[in-house]
Parts: sequence; C-alpha cells; structure tokens
Amino acid sequence: MTPRRRKQWWARVRAWLRPPRTLKVTRIGRTYLVVTFGVGLGALNTGNNLLYLLLGLLLSMVVVSGVLSERCLQDVSVRRVGADAAFAAEPFAFRWAIAKKRGHGFALTLGEADSPLTGEGGVGYLPMGVDHVVRANLTAPRRGPVLLTGVRVTTTWPLGLFAKSRVFSLEGTLLVYPRRGYACQDPGEAERGPVGDAGNPRRNDGTGDVSGLRELMQGEDARRIHWRKSASAGKLLRVEREREERRTWVLAVVAGLEGDALERRCEEVAALAHRLIEEGHEVGLDTADGRVRPAAGTAQERRVLRALAWLGHEGPHEDEEAA
Amino acid sequence: MRHGLRLRLRDLGAGAAFASMGVSGQLPVWTLALYGLALLCALMGRRLFGRRAKLTALLLLVVAVVLGMNVLAGSLNLVVAACAFAGLISAHRLLSTPEPATDGQVHLSGLLMVAGGAALTGELTYGVCLVAFGVLSSMSLALGVVEAAVPEGEPVPVRQVMRPLATGLTFAVAGAVAFFILFPRLNWNMMGPRAAPGLGAATTGFSNTVRLGGAGTIKGNPRIVLRATLDPAPDKENLDAYWVGRTYDIFDGQEWTNVGGARGTGDWMVTLRPGSEGLIHQRVELLPAYGASTLVALETPSRLGNAASHTQTGSRRARIQELGGGEVRFLDPGIAFSYEAYSLPPGGSGDSFQKLPANEQDALLTLPENIDPRVAQTAARVLNGEREPLAAAQKLAAWLQRENSYTLELGGDVEDPLADFLFERKAGHCEHFATALTLMLRTQGFRARLATGFFGGERVNDVYIVRAGDAHAWTHVLVPGRGFVTVDATPPAHRASQASEFLQDLLGFYESLEERWRSAVVDYSFRDQLDVARALVRPPKGSDEDESPSRLPPLRAWATALVAGAVTYGVWRRLARFLGRERPHDATRFVDAVEAQLASARLERHEGETLEELDARLAREHHPLSPALSPITRRYLEARFGGRPLRQGESAELLATLKRAIAADARRAAAEERAPRARRAS
Repeated sequence: MTPRRRKQWWARVRAWLRPPRTLKVTRIGRTYLVVTFGVGLGALNTGNNLLYLLLGLLLSMVVVSGVLSERCLQDVSVRRVGADAAFAAEPFAFRWAIAKKRGHGFALTLGEADSPLTGEGGVGYLPMGVDHVVRANLTAPRRGPVLLTGVRVTTTWPLGLFAKSRVFSLEGTLLVYPRRGYACQDPGEAERGPVGDAGNPRRNDGTGDVSGLRELMQGEDARRIHWRKSASAGKLLRVEREREERRTWVLAVVAGLEGDALERRCEEVAALAHRLIEEGHEVGLDTADGRVRPAAGTAQERRVLRALAWLGHEGPHEDEEAA
Repeated sequence: MRHGLRLRLRDLGAGAAFASMGVSGQLPVWTLALYGLALLCALMGRRLFGRRAKLTALLLLVVAVVLGMNVLAGSLNLVVAACAFAGLISAHRLLSTPEPATDGQVHLSGLLMVAGGAALTGELTYGVCLVAFGVLSSMSLALGVVEAAVPEGEPVPVRQVMRPLATGLTFAVAGAVAFFILFPRLNWNMMGPRAAPGLGAATTGFSNTVRLGGAGTIKGNPRIVLRATLDPAPDKENLDAYWVGRTYDIFDGQEWTNVGGARGTGDWMVTLRPGSEGLIHQRVELLPAYGASTLVALETPSRLGNAASHTQTGSRRARIQELGGGEVRFLDPGIAFSYEAYSLPPGGSGDSFQKLPANEQDALLTLPENIDPRVAQTAARVLNGEREPLAAAQKLAAWLQRENSYTLELGGDVEDPLADFLFERKAGHCEHFATALTLMLRTQGFRARLATGFFGGERVNDVYIVRAGDAHAWTHVLVPGRGFVTVDATPPAHRASQASEFLQDLLGFYESLEERWRSAVVDYSFRDQLDVARALVRPPKGSDEDESPSRLPPLRAWATALVAGAVTYGVWRRLARFLGRERPHDATRFVDAVEAQLASARLERHEGETLEELDARLAREHHPLSPALSPITRRYLEARFGGRPLRQGESAELLATLKRAIAADARRAAAEERAPRARRAS
C-alpha cells in the first residue's frame, strides 16, 4: 500500500470512527447530567435499587437522545437557495433547501458555518423525500464578499439535552452590499445636459402621462389642443402632460480611501445611487477598480451595488452569486 | 393554543413526580394539599404567580423556614422535608409564566422529586409514577424542542413527533431494565426502603382488652396486613388457617383481659413452647396497615425471632418480648416488621395444665360475677352430660351456629352483652360467638380461653396474604394430653374477610404485581445478578422429570442463533460493500506507481500539483528526468482519458524506464557533489 493510499484509508477509518458531528450540551442538559451524576452517587452509596432503576432510565435517555439525533442528521442533503439582496447590518432573507432521503427529521436548525453571518432558520418536521425550503433572517456585519464554507445543521431532538451539529461542506460566496442609509451629500452636477423635457422652458409641457386639461393660452402650441374636449366645451382646451426629467450622474469613489472612510463613502454612494435611480435618472460609477457605465433601472442599481460591494476586496466578480 | 398540550403534559409529568413521593404517605398533609391546588390551577391554565414571580418566591422562603423548624423540632425527617420542599418549588414553577427556563425548572424539579420518591418508598406505585413521569415529561420536552424550531404561525406536528418518540422511550425503558439487571451492585446489603406508612391509617391492631359490643366494621376492610411465606408450602389457594396473636382468660361481663404479665426484658428470640416434629416455618411481614406490634403466627406458635423493624430511615434488628396470654411484642417501634416463626402442626398446643402458671390455671375457669344463670342452664341442656372437653366444645359450637346468626350490625353497648347475644338479639359477630362458647364451656367445668388473631390466608404467587377483614376471635379449649385445641363457634362462612369480592380481587391483583415488583426490583441484589448470569451460562434443568421435553431448541440457542445471524449479516454487508466498490482504473494504479517512484527520487512537488503539471514544469526547467517522464505522462493520459488502455506489461516497461532514469539522475547528482569537493581538495 502506498503512503498516499494508506493515508486515505486511515482518513476513512477516522471518519468512520468519528463522524463529523459536534455535540454541545444545552443548559438543561448540563443540569440533567449533574442530577444523573447525583442519582448515580446516591445509588452507589445507599444501594437503593429504585435509584439504580432511575439511574438506568436517565442514562438510557442520554443514549436514546444520541441515537435519535443521529438518525435525524443522517441522509440529509442541503443546498443554498440564496438571498435576493443582502445589505450590511440589516437582516436579509436567506434560504436553504433541505431534504432527507430516509426517515424523518425533527427540530432542525440551519445556519452558515464559520462565517460572520448571524441568524438561523429552522424546520420543525422534515418528512422523507421532500425538498423543504428553510427561510432565515441573516445579518452580515459589513460590506463585501462573505466566503461560505458550509451549512451547519443542528438538532436538539428529542429532549433538548444536547445540540448535535453536522456541517455540510458547501462552498460559495455571498456578496453583501453596503449598508443602507440616507445620503447626506448632494450628488453634485449632472454629468451631461438635459435629456427629455428637462430643458423645456414651458415647465409643464412634458411628454409623460396626461395630467389634465386647461384652456389654451396665447402663444401656446396648437398641437397640444384636445379637439374633442374643445368641441364639447366650446373653447380651446389643451392637454397637459407630466414633465419628464432624466439626467445622468456618474458617482465616484476616489482612490486611496481605506477603512471606515471607504465604508462611509460606499454607503453614501449606494444611497445616492438608490435615490437617483428611484427618481428615474441614469447613474454610473467610477472607482479605482473600474467604471460602471451610466444607466437607469433596478438592474443598474444592482450593478452599482455589486461594484461597491467588491470595492477594496479581491476575488472573482462573476460567480459571486453562488449564494 | 399552541403550547397548551405541551404545558399540560409538563404539568402532569410534574404531578406524577410529586405522586411518586406522595404515595409514601410521609409528606405533610399541607404540602399535599398545596401541591394539589397548584397542579389544578396549572392544568386549568391559571398561572397565578405569573406577574409576581419574585415576590411569590418569598413564600418558598417561608415554607423552607416552616419545614426547617419541623426538622429541628424532630417532627419531620430531613429527607422528607427536602422532598416536600422540592415539591413546593415545583408547585411555584407550575404557577409561573411558561417560559423555556421555567419549563426546564419544572422538569428538573420533577427529576429531583422522583429521586426523592425512590428514597421514601418502595411501593409498586412508585414504579408507575416513575414511568408516567418519564413518558409525560419526555413528550413535553420533545414537543418543546420541535415547537422551538417550527416558525411562528405554523402548526406543530404533534402526531409525527409521537411515533419516533414512543420508539425511543420504549428503547429507553428497555435500556433502563438492562442497566438495572446488569450493572454490578457493589454492596451486598441491597435493600430499598422496606416501609412507608402508605396512604390511610392502620385499621387493625391488638389492644390489651377485647370489649364486646363494638361494631364489626373491620370485617369489611380488604387491606392487606400480613404477608407470609410458609415452609413447607401448603399446596392450597386458601389456607383457612388460624393466625394467633394473643389469648384472653378473664371476662368481667363486658370485656376480656389477661392475668399474665411481661416475662423477661426482651430478647432476639422467644420460645413459647417446645417444638416437635414437622414444625411449620414462616417468614412473616407485618405491613403498615397492621398498625400494631404484636407478632402473629400460625396456630400454635412455638418459637419466634430473627425480627427486624422497618422505619422510614431504614431497617434494623429488633428485640421481642413475651407478655401474658402468649403474646409476643416488638420492643422497638417501626412502621412495618418482619420476623420468622415456627409453629406446631395442627392438632393441639401440647401445653400441660400443670405447667401453666397458677394464676392462669385459675383464670381458665373464671366466670363473671353477674353471669346470667341461663347461660349455664343452656350449656348443660345442650351438652346433655357430655364430659369430653373437645366433644363438648364442638357440641356447643354447633348449637351456637344453629341458634344464632352472624351480623356486623350491632346496637352498641348493652348491660350484659353475652345474655343479649344468646337470649335477646340472637345475633352477633365472632367475638360474641367465641365469648359465648368459652363461658358456656367454663360453666360446665371445662377450661377454655378466648384467642384473637386472623383467620384466612390467600395465596398470591408464592406468598400468603392476610387482610384486615380476616381479623377473628375463637376459643381454645384445654384437652388433657393435647393441650389447647381450637374450636370456632363462628359460622364458617363468616370467619374470613367480609369485604367486597371485587375489592378483594382488585387488591389481590395489585398485591400480585406488588409482590413481583418487590422481588424483582426492590430486593434485587448481587446474588440475583449471579443467578441471572448463571442461568444464562447454564440454564437450570426442569425439576419435573416426567415433563415431556420440548421439541424446540432452548432459549439460549435462539439467542445464539440470533447473534450469529446478525454478525453474519454484518460481515456480508461489509464484504458486499467491499467487493462492490468501484475498482481503481489500471491507469490510476499506474500513475500511483509512477508517483511513488517520483517520491523516492525526492523531487520537489508543489501542493496539489498533478503529474501533467509536474511534467510540464520539469520540461520547462530542462530537468534530466523530463525525457523519461514525458512519454509516461502522455501514455497515462491516453490510457486514462483517451481510450487507449495500457497493454500487458507496458506499465512495467515504462516504470522500469523511469526507474533507470531516476537511478542515472541520482548517480549524476552524486558525481556532481564529489567533483567540487575534489577541486577544493586539489
């Protein structure tokens, strides 16, 4: 047997002997164990057979607890469904899909293992062969990509004395956008001249939806007359349309910012971008890492947020949405 | 309500735990009342202490002080006080707002109460309470665990939880039994608490007098007062024997007394009369319902001793003392007693009149001063000249049974209860019949006395039990040459217990379970463990030789076959998995061998560097091994992924090439190392 094969064999033996589980005694479990110890001492000291019987029952419950919780965690498969959008320092919805090939699962709690994400989701009863989606409100402390190494599934079934966990190795990255807040600074001057109706001297002569009718004034454009309404009213009425104003801003995060200053700037740019895009403007981003061309809409906002999230971090920019 | 079922189970579990202590009958009544009230409120969903948890905790302090004072005053045992306090803590928690912490405290106080119950009682009811507590609390805990994981607003899958939990509990109970049987006892004096007062006051007892005219309510009491194992064991379901406690010889017209006094100061063993062939050995337990300290034995007792008194704190050897009237009493107090007795076989006590003390000799013919003359006249008329004592007694007993009826409904005290029984009411209970026979015999010059005790004996498993309702009185007539002989004037149908048959059956069933519980659990010892081990290793052969041998194999053969089958199945599963595993590809084996050779050449490898990456790197570095390794790498990739498997012997050939190249490289490296050294030397 080659050393490599011997190593593999030994790793398999170790895995078989020590399944990857972590066992934590709960608060009530600790007291339970202390009482069990006391009953054991009492039985040995007094020789009272009823105490032996009670001790046997208490110890058997510990064993049964271990067996039932192990059965709960066996044949379980987990995958990440992911989150729509994760903003730093605020809870966001995260989903996992969990299924059990054999047997039923009870009181399963899911969370991300070894990650700064806090919060967990739970499922009380997992029937066999059903793909159950577990929702949880997770919170990420800061902006940036969060490396996810695995999903921890924990159960305290059946008596809540022990919390047994199993970590399912599942690599991925969750991109956390900058914290949401209010933009204190003005976005500054728009990048280019007016687009649409913004430059029209007649401010209420927009090209948007119909907002009302009024009498045609001297010198106004006759093309605006609503002839049918004018005929029924016996005077010239004109259509008023909503004014559309779309401008373009390119927001910038200057190079050289670090630490808190960078975080603050990212949050501010994110808030400005959100506000401007909500108002219907086009927003672009200029950072040391690259440039996002100006555009409007929620997809553009997502692009800006993603660029801001990666700012100051190294790593792939394409497949970060694994989670 | 979402938590409703779980909380009810929790509360009921705690109630079962408290009941495990309560059945001992040792807890103060007020603690029972308080706990019952708290449990009732909790079950009705009224958490009275929910808003004032800390303030109401002060009540516990008050209770602790009261219990402590009782302990200091000596009116309460420390263990009992601790158990009562645990119960009241549990009651307080029951009435508090349900929270995870409170739930845990209720369960853990329940656990403490169950442990306390084990220290206070050894009754079968404790076992029932223990199982009830285990089941109810486990269900509550499991529902709590699942509830915590179910998102708010979704239903708790109660039904789905119960099935696996029931399976788990079954295994836990089986495990507990296995642990109980197999865990080695380190102390040979295994004994659980043998005595607890139980629920209800004792209803029987022996006083120094027997007064006629009392109500006969005791005959309707089915409680078990005595338990005895006989040797040789009579093969009878109903023993119908007389268990004598004491005798009386002076009747003053209203009540019976005794002339004898205490003999001796107490001893471990008392001999009442010499033994003879065929003594009947009895191991007797007097239960808490008995309520007296007089030893009882089958008629006629010869020797009593080896006694122990059982109290709440334990058992200890007890001294006994002989009193007048053949009564033997315990000198040490106790809730229950156990002792051994030897009795003469039926037929007479063998006492000689001359050997009796003088005052007792005189008392055997004593009549009350104001006895109704009609008693003697009637006796003379019935006997009609009969002078043989036993025959006379039997004649009179038959007459009494014929002329008088049995009743337990009496009108209270009368001036002359004997005359009232014989000539007015013509009805009475066993004491009237026995008194009438004794005095009628005495009026005719026959020596006789009254005996009290029990009549009966009902077999439960291998033990005979006697109930409170079996209390009885009868007559001893002195027959020359035979001593005192028992003659019973009470109609046979009314001698034993008059309790309801249903109640008796129920208690009999309970006693049967209790007996098994006691022998299998409470008294289980290291000796029993050895017996179990011996029986497993060498099963006992049947004692009945004529019993036809079973055609089925013995149990151990089944067990061995089961274990062998399980082992075989396990081996087969592992073997099948091993044989059915995915075999490594030939090319994989080849590359393993190549890598082993490269490892022996001590080539520097990067972390996770594959063979093709290594080959590419060596080629870039113009390493001497590269010309040998390149064709090998190419051939490996073809064999592994290109669909051109290695020919027979090809891998060995390629490996030999690599080996030669490695050897040549090693020689070259050694030569290069020597050359600079030589240059430096020159």
